[in-house]
Amino acid sequence: MSTTLIAIGAGIAVLAAVGAGIGIGIATGKAMEAIARQPEAESKISKNLILGCALAEATAIYGFVIALLIIIML
Amino acid sequence: MTEELMEKLEVKTVFTIPLFGGIRVTESVVVTWIVMAALILFAIIMTRGLKTRGISKRQAFLEWMVTKLDGMVGGMVGGKAKVFSEYLITVLLFIGLANIVGIFGLKSPTKDMSVTIALALMSIVLVEASGIIFLGFKRAMHKFIEPTPVVLPINILEVVTKPLSLCMRLFGNVVGAFVIMALLEICVPIGIPMVFSLYFDFFDGLLQAYVFVFLTGLYLTEAVE
Repeated sequence: MSTTLIAIGAGIAVLAAVGAGIGIGIATGKAMEAIARQPEAESKISKNLILGCALAEATAIYGFVIALLIIIML
Repeated sequence: MTEELMEKLEVKTVFTIPLFGGIRVTESVVVTWIVMAALILFAIIMTRGLKTRGISKRQAFLEWMVTKLDGMVGGMVGGKAKVFSEYLITVLLFIGLANIVGIFGLKSPTKDMSVTIALALMSIVLVEASGIIFLGFKRAMHKFIEPTPVVLPINILEVVTKPLSLCMRLFGNVVGAFVIMALLEICVPIGIPMVFSLYFDFFDGLLQAYVFVFLTGLYLTEAVE
């Protein structure tokens, strides 16, 4: 019984990944628009995009760390 | 499968220094030493016999590398914080190599939370200390109540959350990549893990090193302005 609950808890913690997915999706979409408008600025845009994605990804990573802690600690 | 994974995630003690009742030296510390030795050796070999005229290929490569790294990090720190670019390049090289050391069969030291905590503490101590040194104690403290005194609790909280997010971001990314790679290796032992290793070990590892240095540079620039 308790292992089931731990598994459910870890699963809920990983739901944080939803936000990161939406965020990175929006960021990439906007970057595509920007590149379509100004193809010559591509290198600058993609550099900032990668950085932004890495920062947005962090929220998903926090969820993952919490899930891992739930599994290991309990 | 779970036990196998847990055993891989565990940080093992390599040996114990028989001092003050035994200091445990963990695997991550030893790998950190190896990374440090590799970087120092590389630096010594590359900087031997530098000339101003008729430079060798080795020196040309070194100059190209230093220019690239300086340009990359120099863009992150502006104004008075420029003096920290050498420190940031060192941290970048260290974390970068520590993240990709996994492909040489060693365990990434950044997989151990104590290593990332130490790195994050180094960053935040440097940020706060440089604020006090560059602006003076009074001015640095006054920054906590800018623009209005209402933001004081948020600013105090930020001193804790900045290093926490730095540490957790690096740790989480490296552990996440490690877990996914370990699961892949259990499911498909040959072929496919190599392709994913290219993304997780190389791209993600170097990107996280870059993000860590970028954020530290951002905080530094903000602290000394």
